[in-house]
Amino acid sequence: MKHMLLAAVVCAALLPAQEFQLGSPVSDFTLQDVQGNPVQFSKLKGDVTVITFIATQCPVSNAYNERMKALYNDYSPKGVKFVFINSNRSEPGSEVAAHARQNGFPFAVYKDENNRVADMFGATVTPEVFVLDSAGVIRYHGSIDDSQEVRRVQVQRARNALDAILAGRPVEVAQTKAFGCTIKRVRKES
Amino acid sequence: MTRRLLLIVAACTFAAAAQQPMLAPLDEAGFEKVRKSHTGSVLLVNFWATWCQPCRAEMPLLLKLEARYRSRGLKLVNISCDEPEQEAGALEFLKKQGAPLPAYIKRPRNDDTFINSIDPKWSGALPALFLYDRQGRKVKSFIGETDMDSLHEALRKLL
Repeated sequence: MKHMLLAAVVCAALLPAQEFQLGSPVSDFTLQDVQGNPVQFSKLKGDVTVITFIATQCPVSNAYNERMKALYNDYSPKGVKFVFINSNRSEPGSEVAAHARQNGFPFAVYKDENNRVADMFGATVTPEVFVLDSAGVIRYHGSIDDSQEVRRVQVQRARNALDAILAGRPVEVAQTKAFGCTIKRVRKES
Repeated sequence: MTRRLLLIVAACTFAAAAQQPMLAPLDEAGFEKVRKSHTGSVLLVNFWATWCQPCRAEMPLLLKLEARYRSRGLKLVNISCDEPEQEAGALEFLKKQGAPLPAYIKRPRNDDTFINSIDPKWSGALPALFLYDRQGRKVKSFIGETDMDSLHEALRKLL
């Protein structure tokens, strides 16, 4: 029994620690701006906050660049705050800044060194979205919509979640599968 | 006369090319059928896409692995997660790589249901490999860039 417990503890230590769960609040965490300066999430969040893990090189994430801009432009005036995060070890801050410039992002993108924040959220792909309500509780987790190809989109998943939260309604579909490229994580020693 | 003949031959070639089978579409039931048809072999299912750089990089390694262990009962099934517009490119890539055919393309009615049916812990992220033993039981999943040493190790145990 003792050995089993020890094995369970060792196994748990080998896995990235997911701290934040759907339906539970998130605690504060630190990101870096593209110059490497630390930024607290508490300074970036709003009444309703959309956290999106994105990439510079992932074709799926890039297929969503215009849709992410539209989401930002449509919901920022409604008081929603957006936090875009790049957790890929292979995409440094300079590349993230250049990518944001080239794509005309109206929002900042933050770096998540050593994918600590991605681990906290249990984020695995880009793009992947978490929508938080005014209490900081994760109310939606998953994909932005239901097709990588904009012409085939039938369900606006993130928009539906935002509309529900802003109207004080429960989010009908709170979790979907986020699809895209895996987040390129650092190899961590246990 | 020769010109007319040439035109007819060209038209026939074009028509034949247009009718050439593409990748076989797979939904949940189709996947189960494919999986069951490999009972008795060790089955490695590779979900990949042309837009997925690590998937493209891994493909030759997986094909080498399949060639190495084929005689011991390893089968490799490639399932593309490409969009319809990318299907021809996916088939071309597989042919160039010398991948075993038939190969498949994911076409479920509902993506989330399909992904859950393969592995509820899988988000749909690529690359994704699923290893089945000779009884058709899933024994290991490799999500994200594959650690080839771990894959070798898992295969050695099964073969």
